[in-house]
Order: sequence, then structure tokens, then C-alpha cells
Amino acid sequence: MKNILVWDLPVRLGHWLMVAGFALAWLSGDSEEWRLVHVAAGSTVAAVALFRLLWGFVGTRHARFASFVRTPADAVAYLVELLRFKPRHHTGHNPAGAWAVLALLGLALLTAGAGWLTYEEIGGDMFEDLHEGLAAVMLTVVGLHLAGVAAGSLVHGENLVRAMLTGRKQGAAEEAIAGVRPLAAVLLLAWTAAAVWFVAVAS
Amino acid sequence: MKHPLALLALLAATAAGAETPRGLLDTYAAEAASRTPGFQASARRGADFFGRRFGVSEKMPACVSCHTEDPAQAGRHAITGKDIKPLAPRANPARFTDAAKAEKWFGRNCGEVVGRPCSAAEKADLLRFLAEGA
Repeated sequence: MKNILVWDLPVRLGHWLMVAGFALAWLSGDSEEWRLVHVAAGSTVAAVALFRLLWGFVGTRHARFASFVRTPADAVAYLVELLRFKPRHHTGHNPAGAWAVLALLGLALLTAGAGWLTYEEIGGDMFEDLHEGLAAVMLTVVGLHLAGVAAGSLVHGENLVRAMLTGRKQGAAEEAIAGVRPLAAVLLLAWTAAAVWFVAVAS
Repeated sequence: MKHPLALLALLAATAAGAETPRGLLDTYAAEAASRTPGFQASARRGADFFGRRFGVSEKMPACVSCHTEDPAQAGRHAITGKDIKPLAPRANPARFTDAAKAEKWFGRNCGEVVGRPCSAAEKADLLRFLAEGA
């Protein structure tokens, strides 16, 4: 096992943009003075999630859904291994983390979608409660994700937060990705900025 | 006659979305009267409250910052510029027909504009003003 490059730049940048966007959106949700900030933060979350869905098919090896999405039974099996302090190591996402990724991407899009419908008053106020309920569910899954990251980091003796910053994890040399895809990261930034501009400024 | 009406309003308040502005007014007025005996909701006090500059928020110093001087007219969000449907039930019958929703928005807007929770008396006065005009 070596310290190899696993997460490309769009994965890492997208992850931390989503963290910042979700935190800001959660904190500004009840305020009218911060309404534009809230809408911009939610747009960031949605834009990153949409990009990540595409990147899950065309991104680097460990970013692709096909490389890390396993069955729910595999996720449960991994959690059982984790509880016994003997989990198998996965170079990319582990099978439980994979479901956190999918759940958070789905919730990000649904929450932002319901929020946008509320903001544009499409369907009156029927999406307001749904938006708030979805956001609460998403916060819960964020909590589970953080607990999983903490447990995985401790049990594997591998700092997963640092890995999401540096892109480097333990793995076999041949599992490393070749590059970090900086151009795709620039594209992600431009796309996110465009989405924020369109939702919060132009419309 | 007043007390059975207030009780009815309280009972109605348990069924979300089925309330009336009048029922909400009675609920708030009954709550205010339990603290200040003889309380009567006043449209004049409500109008004064609606137009008062609290100055807590720089961009939204008063209710009228977004809802405009005439609550029977459409308002304009001071931050987003989005249209706000009229607040007065006489112009917009959908307003104040859901006690939970009214409480939610009183909670948010009072906290941000008034700088504290609004009292039941203030809510009753405001509802009377919004229902009947000044």
C-alpha cells in the first residue's frame, strides 16, 4: 500500500463547495435579509450535485459511480466489518460511504429543487414545507456521513478529511489516477457561478 | 358570547389550513386578554405597528419596507426584489388561513424586523388592521 492520488480536483472542489453551500444555506434559511445568500448557496449545492452526476460517468477512475457503488447488502456488510474493527480497505469510497454520496446528491437536488419552486412561487407555498423537511433529512444524512468519516478514519488509521483535501489515500500503485483534471475543475467553477447568477441574479 | 367564540377559534386552530383570519384574530385577542384584561384589538394600533420603523434591520427597518404602506397592494421584497402578494386578507383571501404558517412567519419576520417576538396583542392589532384597514 502506497500513498497514491485518488480524488481528482473536481471531486475535491465539488465536495468542499457543497459543504460551504449547504452550511451557508442551512444557516441563512430563516432570514429574509439573507434570502439572496440563501438562494445563491442552494444554487451552488444544486450546481455541484448536477456536475457530480455527470462526473460520475466521465470523471477519473474513483469518481465513477461504476467504480464505487455497491449493493445495499455490501454497504451493510461493510458497516458490520467496521463495528468489528476489521473493515476491508477500499481505495476509493467504501460501500457505505458510496450510499452517503448517492443519498446526499439526491437530497441536494430535491432540496434545492423544492427551494427553487418555493422561491419562484411555483405551486404556491406547497413546496415550502417539503423544502424544509428535505433539508432536515439532508442534515441528518450529513451527520451520518460525518460519523462514518470519523469511524472510518479511526478504524483504518487514515485521515479521510485530509484525503478529501489532498486527494491522496492509501492504495496500490496501479490504482492511482493519472492527473487531477484541473480544466474540469475550472469548468465546475464556471458552471456553478453561472447557475448562481441565473437563479439568484438574472431571474 | 366572546369566550365561546375564542374557544371555537382555538379548536379550529388545531386543524391546519382550515382557519380564518377572524379566527386567528380571536385566538390572539383571547391570548392578549388573558394577560391584559379588557384587551380589544385595535386597527389603529395595528396600522401604527405596521408603519413603525423599528430600525433593527438596515434594509428592512419596517413591515412596510417589503409589504408597502398599503397592505392591500402587492409588496416588493427589499432584498430580492421579488413581488409579494398582498398581505391583507381583504385583498388576498389566502392570507392567515393557516395558524402554523402565520406563527412561522410572525416568528421569522418579527425576529428580523422588530428584533424580538411579537406579542399576541400586537398580532391581534395587526390582524384587525389587515382585515379591516385603518
